[in-house]
Amino acid sequence: MFKRLTVLVTCIAILNLGSPLVAQAAVIGTLQAAGDSGRVADLSTIGNALARSEVREQMLALGVEPVDVEQRIAALTDAELRTLAGQMAEMPAGGDALAVIGIVFLVLLILEAVGVIDVFKKFP
Amino acid sequence: MDAVRFVRVAVILPLVLAAGCAATGTVLSRPGRGDVPTKVDLEQTPFFPQVDHQCGPSALATVLSASGLPVLPADLVPEVYLPARRGSLQPELLASARRRDRLPYILPPTSDAIVSQLAAGIPVLVLQKLGAGPWPGWHYAVVIGYDVETQVFLLRSGTEPRLEMSAARFLATWDRANRWAIVVLQPGQMPGDPDAGRYVEAAAALEAIGRNDAAGIAYQAAATQWPRDALPRLALGNVALSRGDLAAAEIEYRRAIELDPGDAAARNNLAEVLLRRGCVSAARSETEIAAALAGTGPLAAAVDDTAARVAASGNSDEQGCPAP
Repeated sequence: MFKRLTVLVTCIAILNLGSPLVAQAAVIGTLQAAGDSGRVADLSTIGNALARSEVREQMLALGVEPVDVEQRIAALTDAELRTLAGQMAEMPAGGDALAVIGIVFLVLLILEAVGVIDVFKKFP
Repeated sequence: MDAVRFVRVAVILPLVLAAGCAATGTVLSRPGRGDVPTKVDLEQTPFFPQVDHQCGPSALATVLSASGLPVLPADLVPEVYLPARRGSLQPELLASARRRDRLPYILPPTSDAIVSQLAAGIPVLVLQKLGAGPWPGWHYAVVIGYDVETQVFLLRSGTEPRLEMSAARFLATWDRANRWAIVVLQPGQMPGDPDAGRYVEAAAALEAIGRNDAAGIAYQAAATQWPRDALPRLALGNVALSRGDLAAAEIEYRRAIELDPGDAAARNNLAEVLLRRGCVSAARSETEIAAALAGTGPLAAAVDDTAARVAASGNSDEQGCPAP
């Protein structure tokens, strides 16, 4: 009896989850219309939710304060969330000014030249 | 030191040094249009010297403040900085601007585009790749000027309020960063040399995250700027629809269709409005045209959805419906 009730409630919950998707899909939003028609627009709501969840995890892992995470995510479009998901550790992160980089780089170049280290073997 | 290693350094070193200087793009071209000056210096642009690895917050604070929204880098750190990456990601700069009702407009990837903004008095936030190999040196800076005669760009960069960089070097560092550059605009403010598609897409991103008032102002400005363009009309129709104003939405969608009879999105959305009015026959003809226009493209799914709901609505029309 309890099992049937659980199944019934779950079914109703899933059906309710289903309806808004149908209503929203019918009106074509401006972002969808304005986006580059060459892009394959994957509008799956499930995919967007997954991306959102992944970005949330990544932000926390990368040191964002929990109290800031939701607001940061809320201001990103679905397409941006999809771009970020899985890439936040590799994408360009603007941070350092040249001076520090340049000196480190030059020092390493010199050390390489005198044979102390062998760091540039990846260069063609 | 053995010969192989010597050769490697002798070849690599000049290449690496040259990479910083090589003009992979073009130099600063003399402006083709008479109204674009050969020299611009937006010296009144605010300056926020960078702290630690926070060029993102500094650069963003600079352009937001220049757009009339006084803000300090420290205010932006919790919005854009990623401690473990020691830097900020491009989409998060856009998001932070949007949260403050500013429209981040991504420029076409040309040096002329940067020049156009500066000539219009708008500073440009750019991403540069200053390093190479294992030290890419990603860096955000704000371009505040240029000089065609001396071939330089003028930047607020790091702790330098007026960094003069040769055009060749600047363009090379920008080119390696995939030529990413943005301006942040007040809603309704146009960038230099505005492009309708880019502008409406930027406004649509504002709407997508719920900044509807700002988006509405931007769409209205777009409709004024490009009176023969259907897209701003579709946008205005969608805004009206989302606040429940069916009559206004219908007017905007019909205007869009008048400007572009091939606009499948406008026809689909008009069908939606007609359906809600109870005008099933008229809705049906619109979905039929929309389906033909959408074909198998990205809009087809939404159109099919609308058509299905129209089909499920029976055949009788309310009073006062337009003829199909």
